[in-house]
Amino acid sequence: MERTNLEVIAPTIEEATARGLEQLGVSSEMVEVEVLDEGTRGFLGMGSRQARIRMTLKSADALAAPASAHPSDAASPTPAAADDDLLNFTAETARELLARMKLTATVTVSYGAADLSGEKNILVDIRGDDLSVLIGRRAETMNALQYILGLIVSKQTEAWVQVTVDVEGYRARREQQLRQLARRMAEQAICTGKRQVLEPMSSAERRIIHLELREVPEVISESVGEDPNRKVTISPKI
Amino acid sequence: MKSLTEFIAQSLVASPDQVQVDQSHQGNRVRLHLSVAKEDMGRVIGKGGRVANAIRVLLRVAAEREGQQVTLDVMEP
Repeated sequence: MERTNLEVIAPTIEEATARGLEQLGVSSEMVEVEVLDEGTRGFLGMGSRQARIRMTLKSADALAAPASAHPSDAASPTPAAADDDLLNFTAETARELLARMKLTATVTVSYGAADLSGEKNILVDIRGDDLSVLIGRRAETMNALQYILGLIVSKQTEAWVQVTVDVEGYRARREQQLRQLARRMAEQAICTGKRQVLEPMSSAERRIIHLELREVPEVISESVGEDPNRKVTISPKI
Repeated sequence: MKSLTEFIAQSLVASPDQVQVDQSHQGNRVRLHLSVAKEDMGRVIGKGGRVANAIRVLLRVAAEREGQQVTLDVMEP
């Protein structure tokens, strides 16, 4: 192996790590991962920045020691200054809620990129074992937690605060899936010449599809129906 | 489940001291009755019941872990 280190840029740290491992042809135990830029998802696709990592092959003696750089450890956002009351309050409230839901999890909070109106956006990253119950079917539970937490934090600050909850990197993964789905269905619309109808999605999810398909000039995407059954349709341009 | 409901309700209302949650059991079904001050009703119910429904979703997670079912009623004061 001639290369002992490389830098990877991808939408998320997890993806960058996966790509790097593939390129080097090694398993995660054999490398050190250094996060150069954790990137931001932005909110609804605005202000997002890709993640950047440096991957270095461990030497033989380092390999004998237990692996320390686990990708998911590196993925947690930088903890903000501990003296930020708003972040502390948000984290504390999230922890209280989870404890009362009888769930064990690690909560990390940080400020996300400000949206266009310059309002604060708090990212709440929840990680732990077996948290699929906290995501729920179509992220129902995660969204309920996000809604309640947002209300409590907004009441505390007496202003509307955007709170985004992510569990085990679900939102980033889901965004990737939706982009791929959009591309695949667009291709099908073009091949068959027929309108494709996707399953019902939330406004945030539909937005991801629409944004992705702006780059596909051969199709038009449109949302039809009423929430919660509003769906994206993809039609070939005639 | 009772403590989860109390915590959320007390965090959302203007008069936390008037939040009361009563719990009753019927087999594996837990019924929660939430009462709050009259002017706080809207805060725990929400537009179209959105807040109450979000609380129910979170309660379900806690209930499922104990193999139970849960219902939440918001009572008129």
